[in-house]
Amino acid sequence: MKDEVIITVPSHPKYLSLVRAVTVTMGVQNELDEGVIEHMEHAVDEACSNVIKHAYGGDPGKQIGITLKVTPEAFEVVIEDSGLKADVARIKGRGLDDIKPGGLGVHLIKRACDVVEFDEKKTEGNRLRLVKYLKVKHGNKDKRQ
Amino acid sequence: MEIKINDSEGAKIIALSGDIDMYTSPEVRKQLLRLIAQKVPVIIVDLTDVAYIDSSGIATFVEGLKGMMQYRGRLKFFGMPERVKEIFNFSKLDRVFDMYGSMEDALKS
Repeated sequence: MKDEVIITVPSHPKYLSLVRAVTVTMGVQNELDEGVIEHMEHAVDEACSNVIKHAYGGDPGKQIGITLKVTPEAFEVVIEDSGLKADVARIKGRGLDDIKPGGLGVHLIKRACDVVEFDEKKTEGNRLRLVKYLKVKHGNKDKRQ
Repeated sequence: MEIKINDSEGAKIIALSGDIDMYTSPEVRKQLLRLIAQKVPVIIVDLTDVAYIDSSGIATFVEGLKGMMQYRGRLKFFGMPERVKEIFNFSKLDRVFDMYGSMEDALKS
């Protein structure tokens, strides 16, 4: 079984609620754990916010492609843009003990996903892959939903 | 997102409803900073009807807290739904924000 949904939304923050709704619906329709769905909703929202803010510099007239896929093994979301290349080495959140505005989004993405990776083969723009494993794989209990 | 601001016992009550995200948080920030510029001594945020908050919403409140600390004002919260509280806790902001169960508790503390 492999259910896949592909959407493209303008890079305007008003469409973030739509992206969240699609993410949640994808999880609910596939009967995923509520905690997994909520965490992934946050991760996808934060990742798309980063695209709008950093890759597109706030330009609302660009496009964000989002592919959501559920298999028996994983909930996977791929987010693509054609904006500025992310400087992966410089992406880090604030220390959680450091109380200041900003820098929380990266933590919300990382806590939701077992895999957070940029496709280095993509020459223009960014392709971010977020994966949450749903079942024990080859004895790795840490990957249990 | 809806924002209502009322007075109660010398405090300003900001009642928010809906989702606080990158789209809606700039308006929350604008209203909060407007009150802070007036050096309102106590601002109480009612989160009862907030369904979702993202990092931009959290950043808005952190900025507000820092602004109020400069004149010893107090930023308080009540009615925080579990989902929203969980994000505050994850951010470790439950240690720095004053959070209450009801408006009465927030007013009298």
